[in-house]
Amino acid sequence: MSSGARPKSQPVKLSQGRMYDIIRAPVVTEKSTMGSEHNQVTFRVPLDATKPEIKAAVEGVFKVKVKAVNTLRQDGKVKRFRGRPGRRPDYKKAMVTLAEGNSIDVTTGV
Amino acid sequence: MQVTETTADGLKREFKVVIPASDVQEKMDHRLQELGKTIRMPGFRPGKVPLQLLKQRFGQSIMGEIIERTVTDSSTQVMTERNLRPAVQPKIEIVSFPEGADLEYSMALEVVPEITPMDFSTLELERLTVDIPDSEIDEALQRLAQRQRKSEPLATPRPAQNGDVVVIDFTGRIDGVEFPGGAATDHYLELGSGSLIPGFEEQLVGANAGDQVTVTVTFPEDYPNKELAGKEAAFDVTIKEIREPVAATIDDELAKSFGLEDLAAMRGSVREQIEKEYGGVSRGKLKRQLLDALAAEHDFEVPAGMVEAEFEGIWRQIESDREQGRLDEEDAAKSEDDLKADYRAIAERRVRLGLLLSEVGRLNNIQVSNDELTRAILAEARRYPGQERKVMEFYQKSPEALAQVRAPLYEDKVIDYILELAKVSDRKVEPATLLEESSEAPSGDEAKKAKPKAKAKAKTTAKRKKADDSDSAEDEAKPKAKAKAKVTKKAESE
Repeated sequence: MSSGARPKSQPVKLSQGRMYDIIRAPVVTEKSTMGSEHNQVTFRVPLDATKPEIKAAVEGVFKVKVKAVNTLRQDGKVKRFRGRPGRRPDYKKAMVTLAEGNSIDVTTGV
Repeated sequence: MQVTETTADGLKREFKVVIPASDVQEKMDHRLQELGKTIRMPGFRPGKVPLQLLKQRFGQSIMGEIIERTVTDSSTQVMTERNLRPAVQPKIEIVSFPEGADLEYSMALEVVPEITPMDFSTLELERLTVDIPDSEIDEALQRLAQRQRKSEPLATPRPAQNGDVVVIDFTGRIDGVEFPGGAATDHYLELGSGSLIPGFEEQLVGANAGDQVTVTVTFPEDYPNKELAGKEAAFDVTIKEIREPVAATIDDELAKSFGLEDLAAMRGSVREQIEKEYGGVSRGKLKRQLLDALAAEHDFEVPAGMVEAEFEGIWRQIESDREQGRLDEEDAAKSEDDLKADYRAIAERRVRLGLLLSEVGRLNNIQVSNDELTRAILAEARRYPGQERKVMEFYQKSPEALAQVRAPLYEDKVIDYILELAKVSDRKVEPATLLEESSEAPSGDEAKKAKPKAKAKAKTTAKRKKADDSDSAEDEAKPKAKAKAKVTKKAESE
């Protein structure tokens, strides 16, 4: 909730390293390609990344203009290995809507 | 598709083909779509992978396949459009294919020459026929009888003479020691037959039944058994019985021993057999005559590639012959270049005749039916008694072998066809002349073509003869090699 208290207009400053840490991997699935029709790209991001951070990171790394960022936390599945319950790690996905005229080719890599 | 003919030199053709990038692209997309239906990719259900992604992931590997297919498709299209019949596989070289640009390749090929078969009805051939004289049949019967020869114990005792059969026990010793294989009992030995060591039989001449004779002989130096070769051996021989040979008479009895009804039937079957033999020789000569005539009549250009391939085949045979020291003396005496020139001429002739025959067959719709093929295979299978099934299976499994059987059949049919059209006159000759002429006749026609040296000519003729009469089963390897060559020719020209 503390991040919500931050004023909207204040841009976030990120180091180059943090930017690359935030964008972990593109998500390439049927669902994510559906988003690509609306100029959206999806990334996996750390659980503690905030929307402004993600926006800054994407803008910094891909040199594009970001319109909006939506995020979600996905709980890891509970799996059993040799009868013992285990848990896959949780992760956060970020759907980044790009401003018109910008695009990222997610499959080519950074 | 853009096709430009860059060269047209004789039978050689060269094309430059340009295929627009969009065509290739279209094919590629099509192929990717096909692939996308089955491909599994994490994050996607099968068949739901977007094309863009597929292209990125598999584009490179599919490109090769697409290009290959496009090239073969377009090259066949070029050939059908221009009505070209390639003699050999066209050589295709991709000039350039930069990403996203037009595909450009060059294609070099040799076309089957335009062959206009001559008017076969103008062909005048001579079939040699033979009346089989009774004397020949008698002779054949005599030979058969000889083989059946029996011997009977002597009616009145007398010393053994040459031609008698003696029944003996013998034990051989070298330096007083028996050696393995040196003893036998109740051995039937025909004196004068030369079946034992030289000198052995001679020493028994003059002996009486019941005699014990010591025979001393020296094993010849080249005796197969190294331990015995060149050694002197003493054989203790006991003569048990002397039998004199009885000439088998030619009568019904003899016929029966061959499983035939009576003497008349036997004469008939012997005659038939002899007729068949002469028929084969006569047909072989007729065919040879025909081929000579055809070769003389037709002088179209022959695709160099095919000649080369044929020549390679012959040459390999020669090389292997040479390695094993089986080269003909005449060939061995010649220089490498002469030899090559000779065989190249042969190769050219073979290719020319092969092309001509297959062209005639094609024009007249001559085909080898499955029935005939099966029959030929059965005949082949019978040559390997006990393994018929295996042989059949072999032919069923390998189309190449099947084609090898088909080729001579096809050739024969075409020859038959031509012979029907041609004027064939019969000439009666003595059996001896028939057999004799086969070694001389062809040189006349050949002289026109044969290139280097008189000596080479004769040689060439003999060789060609062998190769042309592919139904002469005497030489196993050569006709086979030929058949193979034929097959490939045919396959390509169709």
